[in-house]
Amino acid sequence: MSQLKTQLVILIGISLSVIALYGFLYLEHEWEIGLLLVALPVVILLLKRANMLIYYQKAARLMPRFTLVSFVLGVLVLILLLRHEHFALLMLTTVLLYVTVSLGLTIQFGFAGLVNFAAIAFFGIGAYSMAVLNHYFHAVPDLLIILFSGLTSALLGALLILPILRTRGHYAALITIAFGILLRTFLEVNDVFGGPQGLKVDGLEILGWDFADSFPSVLGGGSFYMAYAIAALLLAAAAYLLTRLIEASWFGLNMDSVRLDEVASASFGINAPRWKITAFMAGNFFAGLAGAVYAAMSGFIAPASFNFADSLLLVSIVLLGGIGNAVAVIPAALLIVVLPEKFQVIQEYRLLLFGIVVILILRFRPSGLMPRGLRQYFTGNSA
Amino acid sequence: MSDKLKLPNVFIVLICCVFLIGCSDQPETIKITFIGPLTGGVSAGGLGGRNSADLAISLRNESPDSNYKYELVSLDDECKPNIGVQVATKAAADKNIVAGVTHYCSAVAMGTVDVYHKFGLPVIVWGAVLPDITYGNDHPEIHRVNGTMINQNMVAAEFMIEQGFSKWAVIHDTTDYGKGHFKYFEKALTERSGTILGTFGVNPDQQDFTAELTKIKALNPEVIYFGGLAPTGVRIRAQMDKLGMDQVFQGTSGIVSDAFIDGVGELAEGVLAFREGAPTEKLPGGKMFMQAYEARDFNEPAEAYGAFAFAATDLIIDVIEKVGPDRKLIREELNVIREHESIVGPITFDSHGQNTIALITKYVIQDGSWVLWEDSEYASGNRSLK
Repeated sequence: MSQLKTQLVILIGISLSVIALYGFLYLEHEWEIGLLLVALPVVILLLKRANMLIYYQKAARLMPRFTLVSFVLGVLVLILLLRHEHFALLMLTTVLLYVTVSLGLTIQFGFAGLVNFAAIAFFGIGAYSMAVLNHYFHAVPDLLIILFSGLTSALLGALLILPILRTRGHYAALITIAFGILLRTFLEVNDVFGGPQGLKVDGLEILGWDFADSFPSVLGGGSFYMAYAIAALLLAAAAYLLTRLIEASWFGLNMDSVRLDEVASASFGINAPRWKITAFMAGNFFAGLAGAVYAAMSGFIAPASFNFADSLLLVSIVLLGGIGNAVAVIPAALLIVVLPEKFQVIQEYRLLLFGIVVILILRFRPSGLMPRGLRQYFTGNSA
Repeated sequence: MSDKLKLPNVFIVLICCVFLIGCSDQPETIKITFIGPLTGGVSAGGLGGRNSADLAISLRNESPDSNYKYELVSLDDECKPNIGVQVATKAAADKNIVAGVTHYCSAVAMGTVDVYHKFGLPVIVWGAVLPDITYGNDHPEIHRVNGTMINQNMVAAEFMIEQGFSKWAVIHDTTDYGKGHFKYFEKALTERSGTILGTFGVNPDQQDFTAELTKIKALNPEVIYFGGLAPTGVRIRAQMDKLGMDQVFQGTSGIVSDAFIDGVGELAEGVLAFREGAPTEKLPGGKMFMQAYEARDFNEPAEAYGAFAFAATDLIIDVIEKVGPDRKLIREELNVIREHESIVGPITFDSHGQNTIALITKYVIQDGSWVLWEDSEYASGNRSLK
């Protein structure tokens, strides 16, 4: 395949997915959503029949950077198109933040084999750090505060390292569950952090520009969620790039080997605890960053927002996508976050239908929407 | 499988995509949103509220006098602040929605008030009780029909002064609940020139109150006000008797339970307490509401706050009938609502949008059960508090 042709295939693929994304975010009416639910699988099936999916996959594998850049640009165009649609932008931002957390889980869960059922707790730590730091240290640039919130999350997660290294499998999972519940109770009984009634959070302000204002009219104006959507997009893209770099490097290779067989890797001189700790800290760092941006965007956080059920949602994003595949969390996050929202029209039955859809997907794609492929030791067609 | 692209299939895909995004929405009837928990642990309250709001809408649509047709857009906040902010944004960003009847859970309402303010969507809270929802901000969009602990203590202070009492001693627990009640009772009482001789903050787990009660005895108040829950209240009331204190015992909504009467026994006679809302059948329009509700065959009962959701929806419709379906006009009209008739009694919003004459029920214990003050022998004069 010539380079130009590859680029063209990638661009077509990206445009199609951005169009699908647009439809998914924008459609509101009952029949439109119904149509979308029927049409989307049909479209994907047709694409598969037309060999376009394979074509696209090959192309994307050849030029990963080009794919990432064009996808980010595609979503940017989407954000511009939706600039007056507050709600669609809010949903898009939430999806992108959940993608960031899920990428963290992919490192922990998919690479190193550490099950983390407290993702939302680390997300919450990031959110609360953002709220507190932004309130008391107004002079510190907000970008630093976001970074610091991610670090706080990773550091508090470090408390769990010892028990998690001592245990394995289900027992390690139990520790994370306990931590999630512990954190929520701690926030509820502690008046310093607003108690059960929650805490107001100041919005982001970068270089004197308040994110809560509507978008500068020089750039065409738009919703105040637009800035957050772009920030979340950049964050998700950076997290994706980092995840991919980890996966491709000997970091990822070591983590994979620790996951597959800890004893065997140890006998080859791989320091298993070290890689587990690295994966755990990196994942929680991602969750903390996303939590910080989320808190600033929603302007209000309360312990009730960081339930065990939300941790389960995040784990199910990773599972539904296909464990260990960084790309897969994007469609999965979209389904898990946006679908229940689209089902608002059927009110109290919406979570029921949502559950059915998820079960159906796993019935036909038992190892997730896009299972992780075999590791590629060589990239490009030169090999 | 060959690697060739099959062009006809690609075209079909493109056509499908064009079809999918070529959809637009058309404005029709006037939309009002209802937001409450429709799924999850407290969904019973949310569904009851949803049905009641729905009832208000359909009654109005059937009436020949109404100028517009109305439609209820019900959204589920799951009683979670993050989901609440999402659906609030969804409703507020929808230009066809002109007003909202929103929230049963306080934490959700606290999170969404800023969203409504940002988008200028006038809303009436129908169930959440935290005072800060209306008093923690200056947003002109936020109103509330149901009462809070502020209203409860205002009614309590006014009622007790009417009964001829003037000197109080206060014991409250140091939780949000107890502290809040004390704060608002003190404020309401001093406005009405009652005196508080002494205040004692106690831990809800405290067992022995001899020290506090001995001091109170020396102060010689007429009434002991207790802000806290039944278990602590039981211990205080029982220990008062041991010290030979026969002051009137006045509690808050936290002691209105059978557990209090069971715990105190005979001493419970004549204990007073106040609570937000009222049993639906005791509401001014309760009978009519219950009848209309039952006539509709809803799957779920209206629950305690259903009548408030009905009243809020009805008020919004009244305002729309008067000023038209415009958010700003509706907001301005809601801000000046005074003595508006509703099934939960007249509604008057203060400068924060809080219903100041929110319904508070007065209870007294008579012969081992909680009796509405108006129905009791104390009100009719056959018995006296002292």
